[in-house]
Amino acid sequence: MLPSHPEPAKTGSGLGGAAISRGFLIAVVVGYLLVLLAGPLVAIVLEAFDQGLAPLWAALTQPDVLHAFEMTLWISLAAVLLCTLFGTVVAFVLVRQRFIGRAFLNGLVDLPFAVSPVVAGLMYILLFGQQGWFEPWLEAAGIKVIFNWPGMVLATTFVAIPFVIRELMPVLQAVGLDQEQAAHTLGASRWTTFWRVTLPSVKWGLFYGIVLTFARAMGEFGAVLVVSGGISGRTETATLFIFRALDERQQVAGTGVALVMAAFSFSILIVMELLKSRTQEAAQ
Amino acid sequence: MRMKGRIRRGKEWFLSVVILVLALNSVCVAASENPTLVLGGFTTPREAYGKAIIPAFQSYWKTKTGQNVMFQESYLGSGAQARAIISGFEADVAALSLEGDIDKIAEAGLIKHDWKGNAKKAMVSRSIVVFAVRKGNPKGIHDWADLSKQGIQILTPNPKTSGGAMWNVNALYGAALRGQVKGVAKGDATAARQFLRDVFKNVTVMDKGARESITNFERGVGDVAITYENEVLVGRQAGQTYDYVVPRSTILIENPVAIVDKWAEKHKTRELAQAFVEFLWTPEAQRMFAKYGLRSIDPAVEKETTKLFPPVEDLWTIEYLGGWPAVSKNIFGPQGVYIQVMAELRR
Amino acid sequence: MTQGQRTSPWGRWGLRATAVTFLLLMIVVPLAAVVERGFTDGLAGLWEDLHAPAAMDALWLTLWTALLMTVINTVMGTLTAYVLVRYRFPGQALMNALVDLPFAFPTLVTGVMLVVLYGPQRAVGGWLQRQGIEIIFAPAGIVLALLFVTYPFVVRAVQPVLMELETEQEEVAYTLGASPAWTFVRVLLPAILPAVVTGALLCFARALGEFGSIVIVAGNIPGKSLTAPVHIFGEIEAGNLRAAASISVLLLGLSFLLILFVDWVQQRREHRSVAVSV
Repeated sequence: MLPSHPEPAKTGSGLGGAAISRGFLIAVVVGYLLVLLAGPLVAIVLEAFDQGLAPLWAALTQPDVLHAFEMTLWISLAAVLLCTLFGTVVAFVLVRQRFIGRAFLNGLVDLPFAVSPVVAGLMYILLFGQQGWFEPWLEAAGIKVIFNWPGMVLATTFVAIPFVIRELMPVLQAVGLDQEQAAHTLGASRWTTFWRVTLPSVKWGLFYGIVLTFARAMGEFGAVLVVSGGISGRTETATLFIFRALDERQQVAGTGVALVMAAFSFSILIVMELLKSRTQEAAQ
Repeated sequence: MRMKGRIRRGKEWFLSVVILVLALNSVCVAASENPTLVLGGFTTPREAYGKAIIPAFQSYWKTKTGQNVMFQESYLGSGAQARAIISGFEADVAALSLEGDIDKIAEAGLIKHDWKGNAKKAMVSRSIVVFAVRKGNPKGIHDWADLSKQGIQILTPNPKTSGGAMWNVNALYGAALRGQVKGVAKGDATAARQFLRDVFKNVTVMDKGARESITNFERGVGDVAITYENEVLVGRQAGQTYDYVVPRSTILIENPVAIVDKWAEKHKTRELAQAFVEFLWTPEAQRMFAKYGLRSIDPAVEKETTKLFPPVEDLWTIEYLGGWPAVSKNIFGPQGVYIQVMAELRR
Repeated sequence: MTQGQRTSPWGRWGLRATAVTFLLLMIVVPLAAVVERGFTDGLAGLWEDLHAPAAMDALWLTLWTALLMTVINTVMGTLTAYVLVRYRFPGQALMNALVDLPFAFPTLVTGVMLVVLYGPQRAVGGWLQRQGIEIIFAPAGIVLALLFVTYPFVVRAVQPVLMELETEQEEVAYTLGASPAWTFVRVLLPAILPAVVTGALLCFARALGEFGSIVIVAGNIPGKSLTAPVHIFGEIEAGNLRAAASISVLLLGLSFLLILFVDWVQQRREHRSVAVSV
C-alpha cells in the first residue's frame, strides 16, 4: 500500500542520446519541483520573518503557542505508542498466523488511508458525542471524549494506524521463521524469542514505520479540528493554533508556527531517508 | 550493537510511558487547582473578552475573593458555537451573536432559567451592519443598492454557521422592505427577494464566521465585506487601513449572554458564572466593549462613547422582521427567502 | 509457511484476539457509526442528502479537480521517476529525498504556504490577480494544493518498476533508429503501465479526502470552491450530522473501491512477475 523506497539512478544514460532532450527533461522536472515545493516554502519563510526575528520569537514563545506545541507532542506520542504496540501485534498476527478472516483483517488495515480526516473526526463524534453510541455510558462515568484530549488521541491514532503495520509486515515476511524456530529449539520462551530475535531483525522497518506514524500524527488537522472544539489553551494543537491565529490576524504567529512545523517535517524527512537506506542495507 | 539497540528501545518505551503519565497528570492537576470558567463566544468579540474584559474580571475576582480564576475560551461562528455547546462543549457561559442561538441551547434543555428575564433582556453589546471597503472606496459603494452592481465582489459569511451572516441577510432584506434601497419599493416582498438574489449573485466567498470573513477581505479578496461595525473597528486597531460605509438604513445588532445551567452546575461554577455575567453590565466592562468597537447597551456609556460610532439615519431592530422566531422560519427556514434564493442561484 | 509455534495456543489466541479487537474497535465500529447515521432514514434519506444542490456541487468539484490533478501528477510523476532513475545529475539525491516531503508535511501548512504565496496581497498573487487569474478561492488553488499533497504517489510507484527494467530494450530501439517518443510509448509504457495506474489511483483516492490544505485555500462557494470534505465539515458545524454522514458514506465507498482496485492491480503484477521469474 505504501509506495516503496528506491534509490536514485546509478546509470547515466537515458532516453535519446541527445543531451538537449535529456537536459530539457531534467529541467522540466526540476522546474516543476521548484514551483510546487520551493516557491511556497520561500514565501512562508519570508512571511514569518516579515517583522524580523524578535517579534517572531516573541510570538512563538507565547503561552498559547507553547501549550499548543505541548498538546501536539503528547497527543502524537500517545498515538505513536498505541499504533506501535497494537500495530506490531497486528503485523505479527497477519504475517505469522493463518486463520479464516485473515484477508478481511488485512484489508481493514488499509481503510484509514481511504478515510478523509473530517470523516475520521465525524466518526468519533457519532460514537462519543451527544446522541452518540457510547454516550450514555460515558455520561454516567463522567468521561469526556469529545472536546477533550481522549477524542483527539483516538482520532490521531486512527489516521496513523496503517503505517507501522504496513512497514513491519514485509520485513517480518522477509525475515522468515528460521531464526525464530532456531531459538525455540534452543529452548527460548515466546517472549524472549520476540524480544531478542524477531524485533532486532525488523528494527529498521519498525523505526521507519514509527517515524512515519509520528510525522502523520504531528501534522494531523482535520480530525482533531472536528473532535476538539478548538478550545485555546486546552485542546488546541499546533495545527489548530495556526488555523485560529490566521483568523485572529496573528499573521506572524500563525506563519511562524507553520514554519516551525515545516522545519520539523524536513528533519523528519532526513530521519526517514536515513532509515530507508538502513532498511535497504539490512535487506542485503 | 543488538544489546545497545534493545536497551535503547526499552528505554524509549519506558520514557514515553513515563512522560505520557506525567503529562496527563499535569493536565488534570492544572485543571483542578484554580476555579475555571469556560466561555463559549462568537468570533467577533475575541479581543474584547480576551484582551480586556477577562483580565479585568480576573483582577476584580482576585480582589474580591482572593482566588485566581482561569478562563478557557472558544470563539466560533455563533451558530456553530451553539451547536458545539449542545453537543457537549462544556461552556459555563455562552456569549453569542443573536438571541436565536441562545434559544437553541435553551430548547435543548441546557438552559433552564428564564435567561431573558432581566431588565436588559440579557443583551450585553450592540453593533450595526456596515460595509468594509478598500481604502478610498474605489468601487464607489455608498449604500445597499450598490452591492447589486455588476462585477462587485462581496464577502459575507455563511448563515449556516455564522450569526453575523444572519444579521447581514436580515439587514439587507429589511432595508429593502423598508423602501431604503434604491429601486426597491417599500413593502414589496418580491422586489426585496430579487434584490437579495442580485446581491448574493455577487458573493465570492462565504466563510464560517464573521471574523474569518473580514480577515479574508484583509488578504485582498473581494471589493466589499458586509460585516459588523465592530469587526471593522477591531481590524483598524490591528493596523488595517480599510474604510467603512454605514448604509442609510441598517439593523441594530444586539448580542446576548447567558449562563448554561447544565455545564455550570456540573462544574459547580454557578456563582462564578453569575458574577462574570453581571460584570459584563458594569460601566467598566461596557467601556471595554466600546473600546473594541461594540456599541454599549448602557445609556451613560453610550453617551460617553458616542464619538466613536457614526449615527445611523434609519436604525431598526429585529422586531421589524417579526423577531427571531419569525426570521428563523421566514428567511432561514426550509422555505425561507434566503434558502430559496440560494437554491435558485445554484441552478 | 506455517506457524510452527511450539508455544501454547493460548498465547497465539491471545495475540489474535488483541489484533482483531483493536482493528474492530478502532476501524470497524467507528466506520459503522458513520454508515448507520447516514442511513438513519434509510436509502431515501441518504439519497436526499446526496441530492442536495450543495452536496452535488461539492462532489462534482471534488471529482473533477481530483481528476485533473491526477492527470497532471501522473505525467509529471512518471517523468520525475524516469529522470531520477535513468539520469544522473548534481543534486539528484537531494531531489529524490524531496519527493517524499509531502508525506512528512502537515496538510494545513501546505495550504498556508499556498495562501501566503498566491494570496492577492503577495507579489505573485497580486500580479496573477491583475491578469485575471484566480488561484486562491478558486479551483486552481485546489488543484495546486492537491498536486503538492499527492506528488510522491506516482513517483514512488513507478520508480521501482523502472529500476527493475533493464535499459537494453531501449538501447536496442535507438540503435534501430527509433525516436525517443516511440521508444517511450512502445517499449517503456507497457512495462510500467500497471505501476503508473496504481500510482494514479492512489493519487486520486488521496485527493478525494483531502481537507487540511483545501480548507484554507478554497472559498466555500458551492460549485466553485467548496469540495466534499470541506462541505462535510460545514455540515458537521451546522449540526446536520445525517447529511455529513451520507456524503461521508459516498466518499468512503469510492475510496474503498479504489483501494481495493489498487490492491488487485498490485497482486496481479506480483503474480505476473512470479510467473516470469519461474
